[in-house]
Amino acid sequence: MIRRRPFTSLFLVLLLALVGWVWHERVNLQAFPDIIAAYTAKEYCSCRYVADNPAEYCRGYVKQYVPISAFTDDPKRSEVTASGLGRTHTARWLGEHQGCRLTP
Amino acid sequence: MVRGLLCVALLSVTVTAHAETWPDKEWAKAPPLSGPAVDALNAYAFPARDDTHRQGIRTDALLVIRDGAVVYERYAEPTTASTPHLTWSVSKSLMATVLGVAYGEKRFKLTDPVARFYPPMKQHPAVSMADLLHWASGLDWQEDYEFAPLKSSVVAMLYTRGRADMAEFTAGMDAASAPGRVFRYSSGDSNLLSAALKGMLGHKAYMSYPWDALFKPLGIHNATWETDADETFVASSYAYLTARDLARVGLLMARDGRWGDQQLLPEDWVAFNRKPFDPYKAGQDEAVPGGHWWLNREVRGAARPWPDAPADTFAALGHWGQALYVMPDEHLVIVRYGDDRDGSYRHNELLKRVLAAVQP
Repeated sequence: MIRRRPFTSLFLVLLLALVGWVWHERVNLQAFPDIIAAYTAKEYCSCRYVADNPAEYCRGYVKQYVPISAFTDDPKRSEVTASGLGRTHTARWLGEHQGCRLTP
Repeated sequence: MVRGLLCVALLSVTVTAHAETWPDKEWAKAPPLSGPAVDALNAYAFPARDDTHRQGIRTDALLVIRDGAVVYERYAEPTTASTPHLTWSVSKSLMATVLGVAYGEKRFKLTDPVARFYPPMKQHPAVSMADLLHWASGLDWQEDYEFAPLKSSVVAMLYTRGRADMAEFTAGMDAASAPGRVFRYSSGDSNLLSAALKGMLGHKAYMSYPWDALFKPLGIHNATWETDADETFVASSYAYLTARDLARVGLLMARDGRWGDQQLLPEDWVAFNRKPFDPYKAGQDEAVPGGHWWLNREVRGAARPWPDAPADTFAALGHWGQALYVMPDEHLVIVRYGDDRDGSYRHNELLKRVLAAVQP
């Protein structure tokens, strides 16, 4: 088999390795797409409502190489929501001492 | 004769008292530094700011205190003197300072097992408070930020799997080595300290403790310390202070834990903060770890991390260029906030230029 179909064999070995890696990293891989939305919502909220920086500055401050597909900042509720890689997260300002936190 | 001696004694006491300046509501201001060395400092810390590609040194705030008075202060938009700036990992040393007050109140000993105050650490019963303060819990922690987001324990702790209860997330890690033997910088260790403090105080007292124990006595009125969903202060990352307020903590440390006539931190606590962690190997990190502070010390013949700064320099350091430097013998406290995204900022270069600028 290996001699007759060297490329197919190589492909199967690589595929097996990939499946093994995905299984090994399943917990991390599942959480990975959440990072960008959670990071953006939380750090924007703190930039805006804890450090009291201008909105435009905070948009630039949280910018990463992964794009954000949706973003809302509700100043009335001090609540920031961001979406990216198919996941959405919200952070809310709780008060002077405790600042911002991601909602569950 | 006796009266003469008494006069001399009284005079020397008065002179000492007068020689020491402390901030009241505001910092005292000394004549601002000037001259070519200050120009060189400005040129290094505040080059034309690249907000498009975020490259190079991007200082948000630089404040220099000498003998308890401001000698240099500059900010870059939008940061101002009243901005509570994110300190990132400077928070870790702030938590150590808050713990110092609790230590002075005899709430714990350095040799106490963490599990005594935080039951989830029963999984790692041999880890002591000192081990956490040395970043030597032995837990299998991966401290990487944006360059390895998949494997990063910090990113998982702050934003995904760990964010509901960061201390519990850390306590659930496997052990990689015996506690107290190996230095392994870990934001998780810092948050375990925060959870241990909560266990010592109870939830209600804990929620106001950083303010009651440290911020209010120092005259800090504008501090924020964010918590996780379990209401544990994120000691690894999320304290916010103005540059002027962070400098108050620096002055407290420069004067061995004393604020005015009050010994807020026991002297042996500050000595512990400033003692190098013995198993640390030169080059493992950017400076030498002490008790949750960074030291500029020679380690087994290896040069000091910041050769142009005196050996007694110590610092609290955070992501993207946040720093509080303390030089007790030079009577200097320096706060530097930044938004450096490319790692081109050098502690040694800044300290060298500050030291040149303050020369009479």
